[in-house]
Amino acid sequence: MAAQRGVLFQEKVSRMLSKQHGRPVLKPNKPLVLKDEVANRRVKRGGASCVTEISVLMACWKQNSFVESVCSAETKAFYSCVDEAQAAKKNTSELSAMQGERLPPKQATLLLKRFPNLRTEI
Amino acid sequence: MAASISGLLKPWTPRVFLVRWSRYNPYYLEPEVRKEAYIKPEAELSAEEKEQRELKALRPIKAATNDVTSSVFSDPVISKFVGMMMLDGNKILANEIISKTLENIKRKQVDKYHKAPEGKKEEIECNPYTIFHQALENCKPVVGLASIQKGGKFYQVPIPLSDDRRRHLAMKWIITECRENKHRRTLMYEKLSQELLAASVREGNVIKKKLEMHKMAEANRAYAHYRWA
Repeated sequence: MAAQRGVLFQEKVSRMLSKQHGRPVLKPNKPLVLKDEVANRRVKRGGASCVTEISVLMACWKQNSFVESVCSAETKAFYSCVDEAQAAKKNTSELSAMQGERLPPKQATLLLKRFPNLRTEI
Repeated sequence: MAASISGLLKPWTPRVFLVRWSRYNPYYLEPEVRKEAYIKPEAELSAEEKEQRELKALRPIKAATNDVTSSVFSDPVISKFVGMMMLDGNKILANEIISKTLENIKRKQVDKYHKAPEGKKEEIECNPYTIFHQALENCKPVVGLASIQKGGKFYQVPIPLSDDRRRHLAMKWIITECRENKHRRTLMYEKLSQELLAASVREGNVIKKKLEMHKMAEANRAYAHYRWA
């Protein structure tokens, strides 16, 4: 069925290019060949992490006129929050590679480059 | 003549291999130079350390660079600082400056030690390496600022920094401050020793710069939501 669909499509394209029925619909300046790559989609922005920790730390700084030694507890909490956020990001980015039965564009490009479109017969 | 031409037809490999811009295959592992990692008996290794050892038995390992040694005197932080201070590839000079700096710090501290009254003698730190590490820790900023565009305008947003970035900023500030803001006729090791001693007690221009960075971040704390990480 896919082969049949391919043949019908090729016939339609050749009809659009031909001059048999008046002017041709398509006048391509480059050969009609698919590229071996896929365009990159825009990365969705996530929310900012550790905002509460930052605000708590900065409130402590403001109260104590930026003396570091007094705010050591808040600083430690901030660092631990940052480490957790980084670990969480690493885990989720590994798992959510499949977005709704669709390959991510980088993987698609990699596969297409490995099995490229044949442009010449030799 | 016939002999020389037939000599050229032998299978040939180049005697010199270009390595300047080449890169190891990512399959290769980093070498472990520290002696402490090998002295540990089998029982004390955790599961992941055992895995690492087994992996190292199977995988190829990169050659160690000339900078790393297993001696007790080599310190990766000091090596990084030397590399950052180096100009035009003159690492010998950078190394000499750093060793003179450490010697200078030690002299000043021992001088202070001998002049101090009996009660205060234990408080004076004479080890220049601990002073260097303490000064670097005191100069590291906790949060940094990133220029993020939102709605056509650029905002300075406070962001958490990675450890490497913080260490790099601290070292860069120390070096720039010593190069630019000191008296013209003082030598670099003198300037560095003054700055490091001041930073280890939280004084000096580098600490001021770090506090300014913190103040800017605190002033812009409302924009912290503009981050997307």
